[in-house]
Amino acid sequence: MFDFLIEGFGVALTPLNLGLALLGALLGTLFGALPGIGPINGIAILMPLAYTLGLPAESSLILLAAVYTGAEYGGRMSSILLNVPGDAGAVMTTLDGYPLAQKGLAGPALGLSAVSSFVGATIAIIGLTLFAPLLAEVAVMFGPAEFFALMVFAFSSMSVMMGKDPVKTAIGAVLGVLIATVGVDSGSGVLRYTFGMPELYDGIDFVVMIIGLFAISEILLMLEHAHRQDSDGTLPPLGRVFVSLKEVLACKWTMGRSGLIGFIIGVLPGTGASVAGAVSYTTEKRLSDKDNTFGTGNMRGLAAPEAANNAAAAGSFVPMLTLGIPGSGTTAVLLGALMLYNITPGPMMFTERPEVAGGLIASLYIGNVVLLALNLPLAGVFARVLTIPRWVLVPAIAILAFVGVYQLHSDLFAIYLMLIIGVFGYLLRKLGFSLAPVILGYVLGGLMEQNLRRALSISGGDMGILWQSGISLGLWIAAASLLVLPWLLPKLLPRLMPTTK
Amino acid sequence: MRIAADRVLGVALIGLAAFIAAQAFQLEVPFSYEPVGPKAFPLGLGILLALLSLVLIFRPGPDGHWPHRALALRLLLVLVLLLVYAVLFTQLGFIASSLMVVMALARLFGATWGKALITGVVMSIAGYFLFTSGLGISLPAGHWFDAFI
Repeated sequence: MFDFLIEGFGVALTPLNLGLALLGALLGTLFGALPGIGPINGIAILMPLAYTLGLPAESSLILLAAVYTGAEYGGRMSSILLNVPGDAGAVMTTLDGYPLAQKGLAGPALGLSAVSSFVGATIAIIGLTLFAPLLAEVAVMFGPAEFFALMVFAFSSMSVMMGKDPVKTAIGAVLGVLIATVGVDSGSGVLRYTFGMPELYDGIDFVVMIIGLFAISEILLMLEHAHRQDSDGTLPPLGRVFVSLKEVLACKWTMGRSGLIGFIIGVLPGTGASVAGAVSYTTEKRLSDKDNTFGTGNMRGLAAPEAANNAAAAGSFVPMLTLGIPGSGTTAVLLGALMLYNITPGPMMFTERPEVAGGLIASLYIGNVVLLALNLPLAGVFARVLTIPRWVLVPAIAILAFVGVYQLHSDLFAIYLMLIIGVFGYLLRKLGFSLAPVILGYVLGGLMEQNLRRALSISGGDMGILWQSGISLGLWIAAASLLVLPWLLPKLLPRLMPTTK
Repeated sequence: MRIAADRVLGVALIGLAAFIAAQAFQLEVPFSYEPVGPKAFPLGLGILLALLSLVLIFRPGPDGHWPHRALALRLLLVLVLLLVYAVLFTQLGFIASSLMVVMALARLFGATWGKALITGVVMSIAGYFLFTSGLGISLPAGHWFDAFI
């Protein structure tokens, strides 16, 4: 049953892939630490470069996945030292991390967050190893109707869990799916929404889409924050660099619990590190905050979200690898990267391309150890990254974005398209949209339509096939109840529990 | 009704949905082996988008913070810069165009002239050799550059 893992370690331990995992971990930590460049931006910028290097699919996936997990490590730097979360997953880290830094315990706080990140990620990677093959075996039975229902479920779970405004999340997803319909329709050969431009016949290129949506819009957003107090090179003193064993052991149950919570939340499609961090923090506050010190620099309050957001990052690989449904915005980007290599992730990947699935999982184990080894002693060095001024950062992002898009076809059309998408992304972000649903919709849109049409071709146009099987019916019910529950619960709960409040 | 950002957005999105549906209707499908065809999916999405936009119009959220005039001008300036970069990219070549645009961007983000110049020189020249020799990407060198190598 674990043949794929043995083969995977064989793949991941080759010198090239080991080097890539190390490079990815290093770059990821840097990207995570840099203000404004989260995991998605890091991957968006690196992906075209990885593609031009001519790396095989599994190697470039190993590189990009290491960037992803590394960025979750790096995101804590600015949370703890500057009270500015480096990415969405690190928001809860600021609550107890920054007070700890103010007490002069920045060094131990960074150390503890590295250890809890390691523990959380390890729990989730073990979970991934155990559950992914099982889920893949179930998913092999999925037909087009089941996959369509699954995607509907993924979108509804995302609408409820991601972002503040479910309506905007849904609109974002619809816009993403619509962008995916541009180009030649694979079923009939008809051109859709190309407006006579031959450059659009193949659809909007994935690299153009994510670089525009994330990197270009980030440049515009950074300009708005430029007038705000930038880190002027002063960081709080780190204090002693290492966290003591006693402090780590005091948090061992916190890490274990939060790792499990993070893994489960990461597995659910559409819910990522930010939800995991919030849920684990509130759970831990309820369970172990006896003296009411959460929020004032409690080590457990730091360990909980750190363990959970790394566990969620690893957990979100489960639906991506087994079902081809990404669990987060970042895995959606990784899924798109795999599609560049003509690999469609799904249940067959464990049997047909075990070197990709196994290699990735094995490299997560390796990368996790590498990250701990890098982050414990080098926290002070990584912290210096925070002082890189925006006037260096922004031109660098611009150059990387232009080169990354230009090298695709050596034409300017892609660059103009990237700029247009960048403005679109900026406006969406200003209007309170989160971009993850857009990218999820864009990545899944094509598959969603294909599966719907395939299912209806099988049934000869009878819509009934969509909810005929037990699996798909269950998924429809789950999707519907997810959409209805947030409306119903606040109305029902007071009746069920009249004493609370 | 209050003019909220979300209402404007909702109206614009309904317009988009109508446009999408109209375009889908105009698709000419020669002959289809399958019952659905290329029209239904975009049509369905258009309807869904219109419905969601209605919710936005009737229950708009907070407006958020929009840039004031000076900032909006700077935003526009950055966009124009990026556009100029795109136009000059092939005309002047990577090094010259990057040098100019990096300097301008660095200035816009608060660097002094000296720092901007150093950033521009280092990034354009180091970047050129990193991308071409290091990663094997072919970048436009610019015709004037040919004389030097």
